[in-house]
Amino acid sequence: MHDGSGLIAVQNLTKQFGSVTAVHNLSFTVSPGSVTGFLGPNGAGKTTTLRMLLGLVKPTSGTATINGRPFDQLGQPGRVVGAVLEAQGFHPARSARNHLRVYAAAIGVPDAQADQVLGLVGLGSAADRKVGGFSLGMKQRLALATALLGDPQVLVLDEPANGLDPEGIAWLRTFLQSYARMGRTVLISSHLLAEVEQTVDQVVIISRGQTMFYGPLDQLRQSQQKRVLVQPSDINALAAALRAEGVQTIEQLPDGRLAVSGVDSKYVADCALKAGVSIYGIQEEQVDLERLFFQLTSGQYAGYAPAPYQQQQQGGWA
Amino acid sequence: MGNLVQAELRKTTTTGLWWGLLIPTAVLALGWGLATGLLGQFFVDFASTSEVDDVSDFLGVSPDQWKVSLFGMARAINISTIFPMVFGAMAISGEISRRTITTTFLTAPSRMHSMLAKMLVYVLWGAIYGLVIMLFVSIGVVFTSESGQLPDAGGWAMLALVCVLSSILMTMFGVGVGALIPNVAGAVVLLLLYFLVIENVLHGVLAYLEVPAVIGFLPNGSINGLTGSVAVDLFLSTAGVVPPEIENVLRAIAGAGGALDWWWSGLVFLAWSGIVFAGGWAATQSKDIT
Repeated sequence: MHDGSGLIAVQNLTKQFGSVTAVHNLSFTVSPGSVTGFLGPNGAGKTTTLRMLLGLVKPTSGTATINGRPFDQLGQPGRVVGAVLEAQGFHPARSARNHLRVYAAAIGVPDAQADQVLGLVGLGSAADRKVGGFSLGMKQRLALATALLGDPQVLVLDEPANGLDPEGIAWLRTFLQSYARMGRTVLISSHLLAEVEQTVDQVVIISRGQTMFYGPLDQLRQSQQKRVLVQPSDINALAAALRAEGVQTIEQLPDGRLAVSGVDSKYVADCALKAGVSIYGIQEEQVDLERLFFQLTSGQYAGYAPAPYQQQQQGGWA
Repeated sequence: MGNLVQAELRKTTTTGLWWGLLIPTAVLALGWGLATGLLGQFFVDFASTSEVDDVSDFLGVSPDQWKVSLFGMARAINISTIFPMVFGAMAISGEISRRTITTTFLTAPSRMHSMLAKMLVYVLWGAIYGLVIMLFVSIGVVFTSESGQLPDAGGWAMLALVCVLSSILMTMFGVGVGALIPNVAGAVVLLLLYFLVIENVLHGVLAYLEVPAVIGFLPNGSINGLTGSVAVDLFLSTAGVVPPEIENVLRAIAGAGGALDWWWSGLVFLAWSGIVFAGGWAATQSKDIT
């Protein structure tokens, strides 16, 4: 059976739907004890990857394992991994409690567990209502309750914040973090870095079905070079002084400021003082993860910028 | 496996589909039962008062002892088991349409386990539908028939057996088709069209081409043969020596024209169910659930 490590391992995973390559040679691992964000723009292959991990989609090549085993060899998968997937359905005529009792029976946990997870996700008062009348957010909570039925070691969530109100998102964030602190594995996908930035410790960023970055979120932050934006009295004098100190990465911004990379604001200010240049304003640019995310994932499905209008030249063939 | 069977059973009992289909099944069975008695009575009255003594001589019994109810009962069972078949057809196609199949597969050791558990539960439902059909057909027939036209105790038991068997087999066939065609409307419409129209036309063509024996090997021909052959056998057991031409006419009346013996018919239809289920199984096993 499985090794109980709580490790998710994706190796050289590839999936082709006809001529479309949804996932291309993807590799990463997810360890227990932390929340890992699985990020990429829409259509990057996140859902397909998660569905391959969960045995719902057959990989064209490569492997995806949980606890060292592919999904169909886990024995009682509901007790090892719980999943909230997009487009996971409910029978509209079944009550929330009955829905959970069906799957409690399948997993082999007592019926009392159904009421317990309902309370856990805050649906206790809606237990006997038919799911057909649920809002998107309530369905999302019920999906999470279903995932938690077997008290699984690994939790996989595909865009779980969809349909949740801000309060629900805040609750989910706390819940997932405490779940991971218990030494369990949480993998959560999103197409918005900002949405999960405060929740996740690790990130796997994919684009066009390939891994672009994989590691701690802090490492991603540090990989972004800091920039100092400075508004001096004399741009040329400051630039010359900085170059004399060996700082080469200087850029003039359209608004008249200088952007200096690789040094901090104190260094720039000292340099300006020595050169006798006044500083009207100075700031260190915040690390903008979202921009970095765009850089890592740009290109896919991005439209072209409109071409500038060019007047046709008469007889300009030469 | 026991866990999955319980889960599948709960799936069927926590929605209204089982009684939503059971009520029309019971009404249809009762209606056919009543009509069978009335038609039988009409026929026997007609036969008793006219010059059909030749036929009585053939059969060796007077018309008021003809167990004509058997034919109508066989027909009533055949038509009523359409409902358990539809119920079965929605087992897997319904889960795929509603996308609940994702959670089902996520909570089962394998897809094979899920499908087997489902099949077991639907065999049970097929039996329940079969018992209800038998009950209501019987009520209808008893209500409108003279006791002389009714089967004896052994006949009742035999009819009940083939009714339950027929219902179980039809349900299994439905489950298989529902797995093969993962679309509720598509699966149900195809089944209804096939069982009510297409194969009946085919029977006519085969009879015209003078190869009626083929009918017994077709799905509808074989499932009708299961009940129809029992009805004819029971009818003939109380009659004398019957020439083959008359027996063929009787078989046609029972809806078992060209059919094999009842147990052969059952085996042939079981084979059809097996083929369809194997196809549905293969399709579901390799399907990407997206």
